[in-house]
Amino acid sequence: MDLYQRGEREHRAHIRRRRLLAAAAGTALVALGARRWIDDEATALAKRERRADGRPRLPPGQRVLSRFRPMGGVAGDPRPGQLRLRVHGEVDTPTTMTMRDLLALDQHDAEVDVHCVTGWSVLGAKVRGVSIETICRTVGVLDRAKHLIFEGAAGYTANVPLASLRGRNNLLAYRLDGAPLALENGAPLRAVVPDLYFWKSAKWVTGLRFVEKDAPGYWETRGYHNRADPWEEQRYALF
Amino acid sequence: MPSSKVDRPPNRSLFRRWRQWLRAAHRDVGYLLVGLTFVYALSGLAVNHISDWDPNFNSYERTYQLPLGSDDWEDRALADAALAAAGLEEAPTDVFGVDEEVQVTTDSAELTITRASGEVLVRGRSPRWLLRASNWLHLNRGKRAWTLIADAYAILLLGLAVSGMFMLPGRRGLRGRGAILVAVGVSIPVLYVVLSGGP
Repeated sequence: MDLYQRGEREHRAHIRRRRLLAAAAGTALVALGARRWIDDEATALAKRERRADGRPRLPPGQRVLSRFRPMGGVAGDPRPGQLRLRVHGEVDTPTTMTMRDLLALDQHDAEVDVHCVTGWSVLGAKVRGVSIETICRTVGVLDRAKHLIFEGAAGYTANVPLASLRGRNNLLAYRLDGAPLALENGAPLRAVVPDLYFWKSAKWVTGLRFVEKDAPGYWETRGYHNRADPWEEQRYALF
Repeated sequence: MPSSKVDRPPNRSLFRRWRQWLRAAHRDVGYLLVGLTFVYALSGLAVNHISDWDPNFNSYERTYQLPLGSDDWEDRALADAALAAAGLEEAPTDVFGVDEEVQVTTDSAELTITRASGEVLVRGRSPRWLLRASNWLHLNRGKRAWTLIADAYAILLLGLAVSGMFMLPGRRGLRGRGAILVAVGVSIPVLYVVLSGGP
């Protein structure tokens, strides 16, 4: 084989490699990108719907999934029989509730839409639990209390203004879609605050602390927004 | 005729040796960081897509049927029968009976028995050992000593990035394609922040 033929062969091999690389890159881009750029049917439908308050059913930047995704976190003790929910802070009657104590309170079934800060939403999730309003009445929350800190396993906290917890759909849930909560969804008890990004809905709840002054929680002290309104896309704190 | 080695200016020789040392350091630090890079890269990929899958556990959900008449059984008997039906050889850590259901917890699964129908829903999980350990390290949920290792890794990684720029002289280095590639690399995060509107 003379030098010319060898050079020609190397040149062809080089072009083949280039084409292969381009094809691989293109395929990867399409595979990764298409899902982001093209709405699936459920997402497109939800984008056309409106809530009773006039806001779109699907907040901006969200896509619809059919069920909750496990988003990690240090799991707590899933045993319902061992639950000890400490309700304390600015309340008349600080108390520790068991699951049976909670089950003895007024129960509430709700269909809620939840929105994760990572971009997924689940619409119409069926939850059962005890509304925060019921808990507030039971322990006698003092007028000076302005915020509720959900306390979860391994020191997790999430702060929510009490004003955002009006309405019975803000609750402590122990059932999801007809079954007890699964471990990855916060069993045996989790908060559900549908109108804020879902990290505010602490999993594996072990305490409710009513406070006068706001105290940013786990994610709020790590660059996430203190308020977390999905319709305002309050995902991250500003500089 | 004097040799070129003798003719070479001493400062050039020093410079050449400096670059050799840099390459050697870059190579050895690179070898040293292979393990940690795999931990952080694999975990980064896994956790970046946490909304698509569970990077720590393989979860499963199965249903089983208890024999007719089991609705009369005591909670503990129901729990034992459900565990046997599911093939779980674990002792329950909690048996919690409410009106229509009995919830049984073990170390690896939760079982929900519907009294009336005898249906058993088993939800369990098995850890993805490698990824779970990597995620645990990456998210720094271990002991405080890991912070020192993670800091050292970050500093050495910065060293690799800087030393990498000066490894090759001339047009293949920072005077040519090196400068272009560095500029492209730097522009990626800058453009992303500018075009996306930033945080």
